[in-house]
Amino acid sequence: MPPGQTGSQTQSQSGASSVRYEETTKLYPGATEPAVDHLSLEVPAGEICVLVGPSGCGKTTAMRMVNRTVEISSGDVLVGERSVREREPAQLRREIGYVIQQIGLFPHRTISENIGAVPQLLGWKKERIRERSAELLALIGLDPELGDRYPAQLSGGQQQRVGVARALAADPLVMLMDEPFGAIDPINRERLQNEFLRLQAEIQKTVLFVTHDIDEAIKMGDRIAVMREGGRVEQYATPAELLMAPANEFVEDFVGSDRALKRLALMRVSDINLWEAPLAHVGQATAEVRAKLAAPEVEIPYPLLVDSERRPLGWLRERDLDGETVPSRADSPLGPVLDRDDVMRDALADLLQGESQYAPVVDHQGRIDGVLSVEIISEFLASPDAKSDEHPAVERPHG
Amino acid sequence: MASPFLIAAGGQVGEGFFHERTSGTLPCQAKSSHLFCWDWAKENIDRYGTPTLQHLEIVVLSVLIGFVVAFALALVAHRRRRLQPPLLAATGVLYTIPSIAFFFLLLPVTGFGRDTAIIVLSAYTLQIIYRNTILGLANVPESVKDAARGMGFTNRQILWRVELPLAIPEVIAGLRVAVVSTIAIATLVVFISAGGLGTQIYGSGNLTFPTTIIIAMVIVMGMALLFDTILLLVQRLTTPWRKVRPV
Repeated sequence: MPPGQTGSQTQSQSGASSVRYEETTKLYPGATEPAVDHLSLEVPAGEICVLVGPSGCGKTTAMRMVNRTVEISSGDVLVGERSVREREPAQLRREIGYVIQQIGLFPHRTISENIGAVPQLLGWKKERIRERSAELLALIGLDPELGDRYPAQLSGGQQQRVGVARALAADPLVMLMDEPFGAIDPINRERLQNEFLRLQAEIQKTVLFVTHDIDEAIKMGDRIAVMREGGRVEQYATPAELLMAPANEFVEDFVGSDRALKRLALMRVSDINLWEAPLAHVGQATAEVRAKLAAPEVEIPYPLLVDSERRPLGWLRERDLDGETVPSRADSPLGPVLDRDDVMRDALADLLQGESQYAPVVDHQGRIDGVLSVEIISEFLASPDAKSDEHPAVERPHG
Repeated sequence: MASPFLIAAGGQVGEGFFHERTSGTLPCQAKSSHLFCWDWAKENIDRYGTPTLQHLEIVVLSVLIGFVVAFALALVAHRRRRLQPPLLAATGVLYTIPSIAFFFLLLPVTGFGRDTAIIVLSAYTLQIIYRNTILGLANVPESVKDAARGMGFTNRQILWRVELPLAIPEVIAGLRVAVVSTIAIATLVVFISAGGLGTQIYGSGNLTFPTTIIIAMVIVMGMALLFDTILLLVQRLTTPWRKVRPV
């Protein structure tokens, strides 16, 4: 298929191409075993595919065959339906962003010149390169003044951001990222990961991301390919699928015994069935509230005081219900209040931090949605793995 | 053995010098205890002009030719790693030949004069310039080259736009050593009638009057210092990124 006529499935609107491995094999000269053995894998346009596995599993080799920094021994890699083997390597690489762990910024060029490296190779006009560099500096959240600095003047985290910006400069169809945040300290790594995910939501590139860190893989990947020695893919699945239904013992071991806990990082509070809170409106008759509390399905012994907009005010005690009507103020403090969109792991942390058994969950307007408790979470963790799905299927428990 | 040869070869400068000094008109010349005779220096300073220019010419041409050859060899050896050990050995062997022997060995081939001097002196610069260029290229971080290749730089673009700019400090460090040592060794080309400041050091044949030697020595040292400083400045100007301090 000639370039420019690729179908909508292989090229997204933002200029990202799918990547398809077809029986791709790499046998290094002198080696008896292939580093990558008949790898077949498809990465849809605009998704982050993480290649994860122990060292020596061939993940970097597999990634490098896409831009031909490692030559393919047999089989093929298609970028946007076009074989990389028939491309001139330097031309091909200018269309593919490349980020490595050691960053590899040019020490003798300023930050702006570093970012403009590929556009310069492509023969862009100086003015356009300068504009693009400034645009990317803004995109990665760096002060425009840093553009005139040299790499040695930037912190490691800033340098890695510049590395990403440089890879994005010529609007590549595909990004290759080889342990891009591996050399960054844990706090900054987390920040860079979040920044990149935010960026990716905007630019929607096809990303091949190599790491040996399963937690990073789960966090960053739309899909994860778990690889083992010899470049064999043991499982290729979404993070949730991987955690809920590891294909075999190797994947199970690699994902780790705390995979149930890891699933919490993939879920939002809204993904789980919440308890219904016994609500008490200001001025309501206490008899009604007492009746509510007596109902068998109610798990919480205390009513939650809400205002007229159903916004939680606090928990009521037994003695608050001594009067005729519900008072306008609650005795006990509210404790942590969770948002429907909170990540489950953070919600659990909030519960433990607040030393409370349960906490009200509110929607975007701050209105009560339900109650999340430690009990709900532990029941979820103890339950047999639900059927694999894009969203963890807590609403459809298996018997 | 050297003396008749010197008179034959040393030529114009040596003889005039002899004559001037033996006429002994200045008081401080008579006393051999004086290390330096200012009066003589004031009267005779202009005699150093021509030898200084000759010296400069020989040094500049030798280092230029040596640089071009050594740099080209280094680029070839950078591409073909197998050539590195033999080239290092070859330039190293050249460097170990005693200079006087080297001059005389070439006399039957290239004869007396400037050309022989330049051939020998540029041969001496090969080792240091070649070795430092190779070192500079080898010091370029692998990650920088990997990034360049991965971004679509061709091998030639990697060499000229990444590796060589980053090798500038080492290349210039080699040039500085080459220039300074060439300036010193060039005092010996007087033995093959190539002139230079050596005429004022060895040309007299009389070592009991040190003033002339000291003047020549100071000019040689000043020249070395000047070239060294110029090259250092060139290095500073061409590698602005090395000055910066992390903020």
